[in-house]
Amino acid sequence: MGARRIEGGIARPAPVSIDVDGQSIQAFPGESVATALWAAGIRALRTSPVSASARGIFCAMGVCQECVADIDGRTTPTCLEPVREGMRISLRWNRP
Amino acid sequence: MSACDVIVLGAGPAGASAAIEASKAGLNVVLLDAGAAAGGQVYRAPPGSFRVTDAEAMGPDFAIGDGLRQELAASPAKCFFGRSVWHIAPGFVVRAVFEGNTEVYEAPTLIVAMGTHERVIPMPGWTLPGVMGLAAATILLKSQRILPGENTVVAGTGPLLAAVAASILKGGGKVAALVELSTRMDWVKALPSLISRPDLLKRGFGWLGELRAAGVPIYRGHALTAITGDAEVTGVEIAPVDAQWRPLAGQRRTIAADSVTIGHGLVPSTEVTRLMGAKHEYRHEQGGWVALRNEDFETTIPNIFVAGDGAGIAGAAAAALRGRITGLAVARRAGRKIDASRETTLRAQLGKAERFGHAISDLMQARPGLIETMTPETIVCRCEEVTRADLDSAIRDGARDVNQMKAWTRCGMGPCQGRMCGEAAASLLAAVQGGDRSKVGQLTARPPLRPIPYEAIVGQFDYADMELPEPQPG
Amino acid sequence: MFDTAIIGGGIMGCASALELAEAGMSVALLERRFLASSASGVNAGTLSLTDVRAALVPYALRSVELWRTLSERLGFDIHYREIGSITVAFNDREAEVLRERIAAKAALGIAVDIINAKRAREIEPALCEDVKLAAYCAEGGYANSAATGRAYRLGLIRAGVTLHEQAEVTRIERNGDGFVVSTANGVSLNARRIVLAGGSWLGGLGKMLGIDFPVHWRVSQVSVTERMKPSVSHVVSHAYGLLTLKQSDNGTILIGGGWQGKGDPERGPAEVLPQNLIGNLRLALQTIPALQGTRIVRTWLGLQAHTPDAMPLVGPIPGVENAFILGGVRTGYTCGPYVGKLFADILLGKEPELPLFHAPFNPSRFTAPSGNERLALTA
Ligand SMILES: Cc1cc2nc3c(=O)[nH]c(=O)nc-3n(C[C@H](O)[C@H](O)[C@H](O)COP(=O)(O)OP(=O)(O)OC[C@H]3O[C@@H](n4cnc5c(N)ncnc54)[C@H](O)[C@@H]3O)c2cc1C
Ligand SMILES: Cc1cc2nc3c(=O)[nH]c(=O)nc-3n(C[C@H](O)[C@H](O)[C@H](O)COP(=O)(O)OP(=O)(O)OC[C@H]3O[C@@H](n4cnc5c(N)ncnc54)[C@H](O)[C@@H]3O)c2cc1C
Ligand code: FES
Repeated sequence: MGARRIEGGIARPAPVSIDVDGQSIQAFPGESVATALWAAGIRALRTSPVSASARGIFCAMGVCQECVADIDGRTTPTCLEPVREGMRISLRWNRP
Repeated sequence: MSACDVIVLGAGPAGASAAIEASKAGLNVVLLDAGAAAGGQVYRAPPGSFRVTDAEAMGPDFAIGDGLRQELAASPAKCFFGRSVWHIAPGFVVRAVFEGNTEVYEAPTLIVAMGTHERVIPMPGWTLPGVMGLAAATILLKSQRILPGENTVVAGTGPLLAAVAASILKGGGKVAALVELSTRMDWVKALPSLISRPDLLKRGFGWLGELRAAGVPIYRGHALTAITGDAEVTGVEIAPVDAQWRPLAGQRRTIAADSVTIGHGLVPSTEVTRLMGAKHEYRHEQGGWVALRNEDFETTIPNIFVAGDGAGIAGAAAAALRGRITGLAVARRAGRKIDASRETTLRAQLGKAERFGHAISDLMQARPGLIETMTPETIVCRCEEVTRADLDSAIRDGARDVNQMKAWTRCGMGPCQGRMCGEAAASLLAAVQGGDRSKVGQLTARPPLRPIPYEAIVGQFDYADMELPEPQPG
Repeated sequence: MFDTAIIGGGIMGCASALELAEAGMSVALLERRFLASSASGVNAGTLSLTDVRAALVPYALRSVELWRTLSERLGFDIHYREIGSITVAFNDREAEVLRERIAAKAALGIAVDIINAKRAREIEPALCEDVKLAAYCAEGGYANSAATGRAYRLGLIRAGVTLHEQAEVTRIERNGDGFVVSTANGVSLNARRIVLAGGSWLGGLGKMLGIDFPVHWRVSQVSVTERMKPSVSHVVSHAYGLLTLKQSDNGTILIGGGWQGKGDPERGPAEVLPQNLIGNLRLALQTIPALQGTRIVRTWLGLQAHTPDAMPLVGPIPGVENAFILGGVRTGYTCGPYVGKLFADILLGKEPELPLFHAPFNPSRFTAPSGNERLALTA
């Protein structure tokens, strides 16, 4: 199940869709890609290099690099990258 | 290349305040930050595309942060966001990545205000998706406006625990338990220093009241000894600890949860001052290694200043004050006229704020027994998957220093460059050297400060136009 | 009283200490920081035969044989991988230099072939299409230099070497025919013979004996990418020696080539020069297009000793009986195990397999001839 967005205090812009390994996901422009994935129930982002275990958001500030994914062809920490309409995200890029 | 009088690195309360003061005093200031707006960790703004409809619901920090952002926007400082700084050369030449390209900024004076990152001493299961730092949870809650999970265990040390737990409740989530290492007695002992900020104390009590009202179980003097689950978090195991925070044998209790947020204090981010070769000293109560500095916050490298939590953990109020003082000092030294009485007042306020900040920071610092939550199989280095057993084996083979440990085991060689595992590895090394953290050294800082795209370094080029140096001797 | 005190725990000091101790000598090794904490622990780990200077080829050839079993001998995996090397040229001028250099090396006994671009790309498909000419050698490869200190530490202790780490030698005095060696942390020991193996710090060590060795230093930069899918399967280098690149088993690609940063023996390696980082990475990307899209995780640097003729400084120290110097070997990581062995053989009174104290390496080429004992006699 996806994590819940908090409704109070702010109004989000109209949602857009982003592509995650061929699956279309609703997300709000400006929120981080990590947040959008989290809300869609995708917690496992990177696969660790040795044991191939799943990793997710850990620091949310661009330090730990656990949330990296392939965004439009580049390895990018998803926690720092704002959602833009039509983004293509791959989480399979580093799966063994 | 863009040239100016001062470059400020980091737009948290410290960097933003420094930029405001120095620019208002007439200096040409450039402020760089990786984030999308000023505010730093504590005042992190919601995405610019979100409209704040109810400032009160956003909490008191939002208002302070917004005030700071407005003051900065009204100041002559030139702010560049989305810039991840990756190298600094003497002189000072700053390189930052922006949208995949490197930009170069140059100034004779540098103010470093890059804040902190969080310390987490590992335990089994901490690599599962759904486990995150307290700092991460704060960012999700305050800025991204999303819950860290449906039913969250909040664990570790310091005031962020109650703050995060209260925000989860306020956001409509459930807190499975609050598990704190400190005891009530630890807090009572810190009280004399905390009294200096009755407003913040009151806020803290407010959070605790909300937790009690919601019936959140609170375990004091307890550590998380394991996080359970195969692919996802299903719960945690906790145990009471001794005075050194060593988990007591035998007494385990389990709590069901789908997410965990955990932190063991903040560590000053000193990568720039290390990179530049400034001298540092180990200050336990300030979070670890801090750059040596004089009363103007100038380091041992002339014209490099440090401000904020990066100069030693002392909290948001102290960070802002340090920033203002540094900004004024830099202007004064550049021959600009500044209001000397204002500087005196700010310094007096800083004394008070630091007393409070250091007391809180001291309370948060991990104690030596906590390393026992790392079982032999526990992954310590998340990037390279180095376990405690690997580190213990290196120690048996003679490793004594953090850089040596890194070379021998790859602990800290991955993309996070030791920011996640460095504290745990250093604590293990210190444990065999009389607990003396200063003996085990600091990781060497090198560029790029964060992993950066290859093309951002090389840019566009044509091999035919490249002038290769002379061949090496054959 | 030790038979030999070796000052400096880089690969030169470690390799010779191991040989001497295994042959039964009592050996003390004194190291300022930790074993292999300088050049020998931060170098790019290239052990390819095509990338050493011609004068060193015979030593490198035999050293590679030692590298093959070094991990086993020391009791810790230094990750030696015999993957061979490909050296490339992109234009006529580079091709000419390549031809000339490879011919010289082949004459010295390396099995290396000049190959055309098509063949080069068959052997190493990661190479770019612009390759004009290449050289291929199946022998040699790379090792993980970061593991050097750990491996030698285990091996040296097992061989019975007395180790002093975090022990910077600050004074060397005469004691009869031998020496008293003292360190900043209070160690003081007696030895019949001393060996200066202090890498870039050899100048300072020489001064302790009253001798001015013209030892300077170079500060080379190395960069590493994040882990990538397996894409490069050889050591790849450039005709000019300005690139060495290899992908280790863990997927990271290490990029070196002797591009210079800043530093000195006092500060250590201090400053990465961005323009040289850019140059090095451009040459790497030109050679291996698959680097496109990866990220650079770290660039570091290390000091290595440099002599005016870029040749080793190995042999008895003129005028100081029983004192030796051992350093200044370019691609000293490759050559270290064998040079250490030859050096030990000479000290043990054995006939060395190859000359080591001969004129091109001998320190007397830089010191004015003098019959006098240079180190003042104490008591
Ligand atoms: C999540 C969190 C919550 C906190 N909450 C509180 C609180 O409620 N009360 C309190 O008193 N203290 C709190 N603290 C402590 C807090 O760190 C400080 O009090 C305050 O944020 C410090 O301000 P600063 O300006 O020193 O650093 P920060 O606010 O951390 O600002 C540093 C800035 O530097 C930027 N930066 C870092 N590296 C780079 C780089 N390479 N390139 C470009 N920019 C870079 C960052 O993006 C950031 O904006 C919290 C800390 C964290 C981590
Ligand atoms: C960045 C870099 C990349 C390189 N890449 C390669 C490569 O790919 N392949 C290759 O074959 N070669 C390479 N080299 C060269 C190779 O690393 C060196 O030639 C070799 O390691 C030199 O070994 P050494 O023992 O002479 O010196 P060092 O490794 O420098 O050892 C000297 C030791 O002496 C110690 N010392 C100094 N003064 C004192 C004192 N007063 N008391 C006690 N101890 C002291 C120092 O601390 C040091 O540990 C590279 C070098 C560098 C710097
Ligand atoms: S969660 Fe740590 S870098 Fe994104």
